[in-house]
Amino acid sequence: MSIAIEAVNLGKCYAKRGTGLPTLFNAVTGGFRGKTEPFWCLRGANFEIPAGRTIGVIGPNGSGKSSLLGLTAGTIHPTEGHVRTQGRISSLLELGAGFHSELSGRENVYLNAALLGIPRETVRKKFDRIVDFAELREFIDMPVKHYSSGMYVRLGFAVAVEVDPDVLLIDEVLAVGDISFQLKCLDRIRDFQKRGKTILFVSHGLQTVEEFCHEAFLIHRGRLVERGEPGDVILKYVRSYMGEGGGVFTQEYGSREVELGAVRLLDAAGRDAATFASGETLSVEIPYVARQRVEKPVFGFSIKTANGMYVYGSNTQTAGVALPFVAGAGKLRLDLAPLRLMHGNYFLSLSVHSWDHMIQYHRREDWIPFAVRNAVGDLGLCRLDARWNVPG
Amino acid sequence: MLHPMNMLRTIVARRELLWNLTARELKQRYKGSMLGFLWTVLTPLFMSAIYVFFLRLLARGVPMADILIGVFAWQYTTACVQGGLTCVTGSANLVKKVAFPREILPLSQVAANGIGYLLSLLVQFPILAFLLWQNGSGFSSHWPLFAFWMVWQTIFNLGLALLVGALNVNFRDTQHLVGVGLSAWFFLSPVMYNMEFARNLAASWPLAVDLLHANPLAPILNGYRDALLPSAPFDFPPAAWVGFALVPLTLLVGALVFRRFQKNFADLL
Repeated sequence: MSIAIEAVNLGKCYAKRGTGLPTLFNAVTGGFRGKTEPFWCLRGANFEIPAGRTIGVIGPNGSGKSSLLGLTAGTIHPTEGHVRTQGRISSLLELGAGFHSELSGRENVYLNAALLGIPRETVRKKFDRIVDFAELREFIDMPVKHYSSGMYVRLGFAVAVEVDPDVLLIDEVLAVGDISFQLKCLDRIRDFQKRGKTILFVSHGLQTVEEFCHEAFLIHRGRLVERGEPGDVILKYVRSYMGEGGGVFTQEYGSREVELGAVRLLDAAGRDAATFASGETLSVEIPYVARQRVEKPVFGFSIKTANGMYVYGSNTQTAGVALPFVAGAGKLRLDLAPLRLMHGNYFLSLSVHSWDHMIQYHRREDWIPFAVRNAVGDLGLCRLDARWNVPG
Repeated sequence: MLHPMNMLRTIVARRELLWNLTARELKQRYKGSMLGFLWTVLTPLFMSAIYVFFLRLLARGVPMADILIGVFAWQYTTACVQGGLTCVTGSANLVKKVAFPREILPLSQVAANGIGYLLSLLVQFPILAFLLWQNGSGFSSHWPLFAFWMVWQTIFNLGLALLVGALNVNFRDTQHLVGVGLSAWFFLSPVMYNMEFARNLAASWPLAVDLLHANPLAPILNGYRDALLPSAPFDFPPAAWVGFALVPLTLLVGALVFRRFQKNFADLL
């Protein structure tokens, strides 16, 4: 198996203290102001990516993910070490970056392809496919300055994928375009995977990373801190660094008449756990302290995927649980048995509020991350009670 | 090691990109305005007319044909310098997001201006022919040399475009310096005068005339005049060799500076 991307001691350093625009004046006077502090946005990255693998790069904002992609693409030059790539690279770092607003869509397709090093003849052959994929047949001779942002991105994506790269670099671009185009893009990326192309994929959509990637890289403060099975790396990420920005926005608020304590996630045997098997038991132990007697409080929970999709939510009121009052310290247990969630990473939110929903006593949004592993071959977000009836 | 050779290889390998960017440059230049290409011709024509009038006022005679040739050629160089200045900084989006040989940017600037210059000759030559016909003569028999001087000027322009393009990324005040420099350079180059005029003016300082010859544009502009005008005496004193040799040297320095600076382009934009 050949190596598609190889990085050796790769590092990129910027001067921390900006001196405004680089000018001759600053260059001459710079000698008097002493050295600026270096800032390593990426350092000491060593890895090899075999051809045909899809790698998801995750980490908080500003951790160096985009620098890694820029270095791989060759747009920025490493301060130390080097990165080597095999075959043609097409980057979706910023779709339509090479577009010129005065030119028509058609002219821009050729210009963009020329930037990527594609012979004109090849583009001519693929031109119809590009236009069809972008769904821009009737607008292709219009100057792109009149395009909507969606049209812009669609054309950029169409060129980038139709030029048949060996290595595809994707930086959080799938968040643009409408749903149907997003699905089309994901479909095209799956197609790339089938054809054995190498993909380096930066995303905050953790669910997408888990779903698509063979392996995940976790980057934190310019260091490649973890690589491996996407599920494990994502779990490490959400548990260690999630609060540092990026990803899901965790928050906590409330008037605190009733306060939630240190919540524990327990498996069927009552042990602390972070990873649960689909179909088994997930128990949530919720300690609370009521600073005063509160009549008819309502405890609620909700579960979101790592991408932020709301999966399920309920509360004691909806469930018809009688809870006349709370006073002092106590403990509640929430059992999810059987756990119908499927393979993936999730966030648990908990809350306690008044019976009429007027007062929020304490709410912890996206506070507790956990992972679900599925040993059975079924797919999706949650397990439905599906039965096949085969005629006997 | 020899960077101009590397550049030649880049041109051949990425000729489609070069052509695409050149075409983009030309389209952008001529699409926006009604008169389009006409402006590239009208500007030097107006300028020539002004200089002729101005010199008549001073009662200094410089033939109209000499001025015409000078102004058109001067415009070629200034367009390359001004286009070169912003060719990298103006394509920040491209440079930051797409990996391609950066030399293509100044190359396409010079190519677009070269094509513009060639097209402007379609207007310049008939006017020259008319002026010469009025004096009862025609084009000089040296006219094939015109092509050589054009290549020579293009090499010089490319060197300048590479140099100022790279410098302007690292030192944004380059463009102000260049603006002042171009104004001074205009008067130090035989654009609106010829060497005969300069020699008469500076009869008592032969060294000043030598210095004028050492200007790389001097042999080029004199070469153009010699190639087209039968009356223009082609003088090529030893000092002119300095100006002549500065042309390839400019390209070498420009290519070296550009190569050295381009690693940081994406960081500084």
